[in-house]
Amino acid sequence: MNGAYLTRRLLYGIPLVLGVTFISFLLMVYFGPDKTYELIGKNPTAEQITEVRHALGYDRPFLLRYGEYLRELITLDLGISDSNGEPVSSILIRTLPVSIALVVPGFVLGNLFGLGLGLLAAWYRGKWLDKLVMSASVVGMSISFLVIIIGLQILLCTPYGLNMFPVRGWQVHDPGSYFYYVAVPTLALVLVTLGYNTRFYRAIMADEIERDHIRTLRAYGARPTELLFKHVLKNSLIPILTRIMFSVPFVLISGSLLLESYFGIPGVGLVTFNAITSGDQPILKAVVGLTGVLFVLALTINDILYGVVDPRVTKGVTTS
Amino acid sequence: MTTPALKVTNLSVWFENGSSRLTVVDQISFSINAGDATGLVGESGCGKTMTAMAILGLLPESGVNVRSDGIEINGRDISTLNTGQRRAVLGRDIAMIFQQPATALDPVFTMGQQISAVYRRHTGGSKQQARKSMLQALESVGFSDADDIAASYPHELSGGMRQLAMIAMATVCKPAVIIADEPTTALDNSTRALILEQLKHLRKLHRTAILFISHDLAVVRQICRDVMVMYCGRLMEKTDCQSLFAHARHPYSAGLLSCIPQISDTQPPPIKSIPGQIPAPADLPLGCHFAPRCNRAEAQCRTSIPQLDCDNGTGAACFRPL
Amino acid sequence: MIRDTWKKLKSDRYGMTGLIVVMIFAMIALLVWSGLLGQGWSDVTGNRFEGVSSKHLFGTNLLGQDILQRTLFGTATAFEVGLVVTVSSTLLGTVLGGLAGWYAHGWLDEIILWLKGVLDSIPFYLFAAAVAFALQGSPWAMHLAMIVTFWTTTARIIRGEVMRIKQREFIEAARAIGLPGLKTVFRHVLPNTVHVLLVQGTIVFVAAINTEVILSFLGLGIQDGVSWGLMLAESSQEVLAGHFGNFFAAGASLFLLLMGFNLLADALQDALDTRRALI
Repeated sequence: MNGAYLTRRLLYGIPLVLGVTFISFLLMVYFGPDKTYELIGKNPTAEQITEVRHALGYDRPFLLRYGEYLRELITLDLGISDSNGEPVSSILIRTLPVSIALVVPGFVLGNLFGLGLGLLAAWYRGKWLDKLVMSASVVGMSISFLVIIIGLQILLCTPYGLNMFPVRGWQVHDPGSYFYYVAVPTLALVLVTLGYNTRFYRAIMADEIERDHIRTLRAYGARPTELLFKHVLKNSLIPILTRIMFSVPFVLISGSLLLESYFGIPGVGLVTFNAITSGDQPILKAVVGLTGVLFVLALTINDILYGVVDPRVTKGVTTS
Repeated sequence: MTTPALKVTNLSVWFENGSSRLTVVDQISFSINAGDATGLVGESGCGKTMTAMAILGLLPESGVNVRSDGIEINGRDISTLNTGQRRAVLGRDIAMIFQQPATALDPVFTMGQQISAVYRRHTGGSKQQARKSMLQALESVGFSDADDIAASYPHELSGGMRQLAMIAMATVCKPAVIIADEPTTALDNSTRALILEQLKHLRKLHRTAILFISHDLAVVRQICRDVMVMYCGRLMEKTDCQSLFAHARHPYSAGLLSCIPQISDTQPPPIKSIPGQIPAPADLPLGCHFAPRCNRAEAQCRTSIPQLDCDNGTGAACFRPL
Repeated sequence: MIRDTWKKLKSDRYGMTGLIVVMIFAMIALLVWSGLLGQGWSDVTGNRFEGVSSKHLFGTNLLGQDILQRTLFGTATAFEVGLVVTVSSTLLGTVLGGLAGWYAHGWLDEIILWLKGVLDSIPFYLFAAAVAFALQGSPWAMHLAMIVTFWTTTARIIRGEVMRIKQREFIEAARAIGLPGLKTVFRHVLPNTVHVLLVQGTIVFVAAINTEVILSFLGLGIQDGVSWGLMLAESSQEVLAGHFGNFFAAGASLFLLLMGFNLLADALQDALDTRRALI
């Protein structure tokens, strides 16, 4: 693990960040809603229009405005929300922990179960257990997220079902209430991702199990548990890590978007959703820009982790 | 008579595909004494590696059928062991050296870790003991810088070094039998000589019995005392190397020998080959498998199966030996 | 190779079932497009929330519209979205991926890779919202957003395949004879990637339908007409009051179609996997 490798990976991220922020800026700010008329009211005079436009910065050259956007992102000077006047940064600080608390259990469990089932299916490849797991995965993949959410709601939150959990809301003040509010969303998240995860992990493990060095291990009397957990897993870590790293931003954003807007949970997703429907630009600018940066960060960290896990990578040897 | 280190009796391996049966290894029997090396020679696909896998019990349980009247290591039949007992044997009493050390070794663990793991698995000693034995094993195959090798990953070693490390792994528990499956095929000539030297050294030092599998008769001759020639799952000839090279009795063996190109000062002779092609496992001829390609074949060869006439374990499976 | 693939496909019961299911839905879509089915999706023909009856096989919704009609029309919408997005993104992905792979490690490749990285990094639903804004709520905003983000996976696959095939001997032979680069790509390289494209195509189709559902729920999807996504969005409130018509109709249809596609995609992948023998 050397410094050159590290700096190289970090440098690669810069054009990406620029690209992401550029597109965000283009779409959100440049093509976004023109606030001039909202602020002025009826029958504006030409002077008033130019005045407001100047104040909003619409008359400044493109690149300058882009530069400003970048500056705002870096310094986290994110402006003030249109809808309630609260500073965007404080909104984010308030809502981000909620989203994380919402999404993490489902994400972790979805991947853990996926790994476990995938391992099981790969080990018993071709036998009935494998076929059962794969069939269940296909079914899982074929049910839309929305259907799962609505279905679970019916089953668990309404009088037509068990009616054990709340339909909406998030009054969390202790572990008990946390469990109460997070249970159904977590279940939904696990069910949605389980199918995909299992298939993916199974494919990777099955490949790995076929490899020559596993045969050598068997020839030297290694037990299945050692084979699977020490050797197969470690060799599969790269693709596993890649998948986890890449899905974190996705799950955090999209998962929270849907879950929060559906269950009325006050996290980043809900805020974003409201911003979308009401056209609250400062929030959208901030969220899009920041998530873009997060993605690139995830990519970079992922590459760095490669180097830690697989000794072949940093030495410049190509993997397969 | 001493107990042979390895004794295989009537080993067969076959696939069943609905109503038809594909026999890949057909009633193979042989024995190797401690300190001896026997070669198992044949062309690709004749069943050599299958035999090795079957001896170790590494073939998958479903889809492949394995049967034998006994696979004994120092008198103990390992073919009847259950999985747990077998795992104890593999690596401790019998070990295998594979053809492609590059892929046969785990890329994310150091050589030291892998070899120590084998030791600890079978001996259950402490980490220090394992490390000591591991370093000893590496030194005994000729590494003067055992510490460095132990800290290296497989991809950091050259092909020859990897194979030597593999030998170290195979010998760390001092097994009675070693099966070497084409250990030098993937190496260049100079490293090949090195590996063969090591194997010879092993034989003498630990009195290990070696089953040396190869398609290359010339290599086998350098290290083995006895040799078995295999064709389409059956043993065609079993004898000592000197006799084979001086006067092969089975037409197939003779054919193989004649294919070895000779270096000569005068015009190089044309490269000979055995006429015909190896039959596919599904289309094996009745009677002697080699009959279709044999210029000495007669009616009997096509209808009955010649047995290895076991005149003290040597002989040729032929009705009309040379 | 096509004959072998078909043979393998036919012997896969699940795959054939999937294919048949997809064909049935496709037929329905065709019938709707040609005006023979599902035309009454917006007509108010009954009272609100009528249950299942002989007149309304799936009951009616909040406005008294026949759910069955709406489900049938939704099939057409699903296929329309699926086809448009799949075909467009596959074309785009193939062209860009092909170029990137052919000129691998050159400047064109780097640019395309950078573009891919950027597009992959933008959270999709926000992007869709942004596009909707930029296009002032045009009904094609959704398709465009999907096409612009879905081409990346196809491109990545094609790029890999092109790079692989480029190294094979028959391409070297073509170049040795002096065939111009781009022509070689189209004549020789791309036909060898069709099998991968086919599998990827089914995956994209599924993704497109799934995405439309969620976009419609968020209000960013279909603006005119009806889709299963819209029906599900409607149902989200209705089920709390005990009206399950929309939910079951749209949910079940969605499940069946997706299942069919997934089975088909799996079977296709197995059938096209030349590494495995036909045992």
